[in-house]
Amino acid sequence: MAVEQPTRPTIADKIYDKMFHNYLWKSIFRTGYPNTPRNQMLVVATNVFLHLHPTRIHRTHVKITHTYCLGGLSFFMFLGLTITGILLMFYYVPSVDRAYLDIQNIQTNVQFGQLMRNMHRWMAHAMVILVFMHMMRVFYTGAYKPPREFNWVVGVILLVLTFLLSFTGYLLPWDQLAFWAITVGTNIAGSAPVLGPKSRFWLLGGLQVGPDALIRFYTLHVIGLPLLAAIFMAVHFWRIRRDGGLARPL
Amino acid sequence: MATAVVARPVARPQARARDEEVLVWPDLVFIEFIAAMVFTLTLFLLAFLINAPLLDQANADVTPNPSKAPWYLLNLQELLLHMNAAMAGVIIPTIWLVILGAFPYFDREQDGQGEWFGTEGAVKITIAAGLVGFLGCWALILWDSGKLAFFMHDWFGISGGDSLRFLADVRSFQTQLPWPDWSKEITYLPFNLKLLSSDAPGGPTQFQHLDFPGWIVEQGIPIAVMVGLPCIMIYTMWRIGWVQTRRDAVLALFSGFIGAYGVLTLVGTAFRGQGQELVFPWELKVSEGIPGQEAGGH
Ligand code: HEM
Repeated sequence: MAVEQPTRPTIADKIYDKMFHNYLWKSIFRTGYPNTPRNQMLVVATNVFLHLHPTRIHRTHVKITHTYCLGGLSFFMFLGLTITGILLMFYYVPSVDRAYLDIQNIQTNVQFGQLMRNMHRWMAHAMVILVFMHMMRVFYTGAYKPPREFNWVVGVILLVLTFLLSFTGYLLPWDQLAFWAITVGTNIAGSAPVLGPKSRFWLLGGLQVGPDALIRFYTLHVIGLPLLAAIFMAVHFWRIRRDGGLARPL
Repeated sequence: MATAVVARPVARPQARARDEEVLVWPDLVFIEFIAAMVFTLTLFLLAFLINAPLLDQANADVTPNPSKAPWYLLNLQELLLHMNAAMAGVIIPTIWLVILGAFPYFDREQDGQGEWFGTEGAVKITIAAGLVGFLGCWALILWDSGKLAFFMHDWFGISGGDSLRFLADVRSFQTQLPWPDWSKEITYLPFNLKLLSSDAPGGPTQFQHLDFPGWIVEQGIPIAVMVGLPCIMIYTMWRIGWVQTRRDAVLALFSGFIGAYGVLTLVGTAFRGQGQELVFPWELKVSEGIPGQEAGGH
């Protein structure tokens, strides 16, 4: 039995070597592809993006049909909305004179502008639906029960924040759809006893939807509410770990 | 150590069964990656195919008919058509969110945790309560829009005659019953029951006047329906042995909510035409005009 001789490196081997075994690459990724269980756990525990996860989880929780990835996808929508939202912010000025024209401009003159606006809009709708479905999955799997009570409450807050994020964004194109939807929506809020008219005034910065409302909605939409949502999401994810991972039958 | 200060035994992480566990890399990370890719591609495709709407520039003088809130608020806008505005728009959603948040504090048993429909009869309760919410909500909307009376009369030739006219819709309780005059202006002290209307006059020391028939229609019947029907449903399910635990009760309540919420959103979105008239989705159209001067009605 002949001992296997090392073969001569092929072109592909050489390219691979050049790409991944050089000083620059290794300064970014200290290890190669994690192909042993030990390295795989290490990479999850030490990578800043992956370390939200535990290193190992129960078998039932990787079944797609347990979570349908709904919470993860809600978060993914949030990230996607942040990216497309930042791109839209480059071109959009929240003033009554400019807002509508800026949106038109994004759609007609900006490279991929229409695409970015479409993405932002459809992702926003998707997020509302996904968060609601995530709530239903948590409910029907009985995953709100102790010790996860508080995380369920955090979830309800996130649901409200998601609605508010979408609602504040709705006004920004400053077209008829936006204007009247927000008029109707804030009228609903304004009908509350005692605090209603005040909170409506506070939200709009006046008695009707106008320039002050636009700047308030914009500020809430691009910084106030995303910041709040991010904080509550951080708590949400942290609590999942603290509560011992996802719920499973005792 | 953080876990050492946790007093409640339930908060302890569940006992680990190592051989039941898999590694997050690759088993979970890859699934997440694929899900993210599928969604990215789908949304890109959607964004290529369908443009986000952009109508004419906002104009406070030109009101579209119907004017609608964003779709996820249309359930509230639909409720608004049937009762007092403050109740539909703010009080009920707020109370419901509090009830929703309180679920885990009410239902604290561990049964059915971490499994889809993990308790006995859960699927049965979910479907039944979902249907009750769905059909009940449809029935109520049809009733209050006068369609039920219309169908009875035009399709089946059943007419209640004048004496039953007050049943045609909710508002008819006020308009079609022979309320004595005094009942429309009941003077009372000292509580300001008119707190619920936005034009509440004066303080609590002033005499308040209650339009009782109006109150019945705008608050009395809606409260009775929204509190009463779920209670009757859960009570019935308890009597026939379907609902036995708190989990079962919460399951019935939540599923009924999903059914009704779905119908409210759907009707508000696809079945409300000009003047918020109940129409079929293919009859929906929007006209714009200056309020009071709109051409044509429905
Ligand atoms: C912006 C909104 C939200 C995000 C990004 C989010 C994200 C997540 C993620 C990633 C998980 C891990 C498991 C999974 O994917 O299902 C999770 C679990 C959980 N979420 Fe959410 N969530 C949100 C809203 C909500 C809402 C509205 C509720 C309930 C009202 C909720 C309650 C919970 C609970 C109780 C768990 C633990 C589930 C278990 O142990 O099986 N979350 N969430």
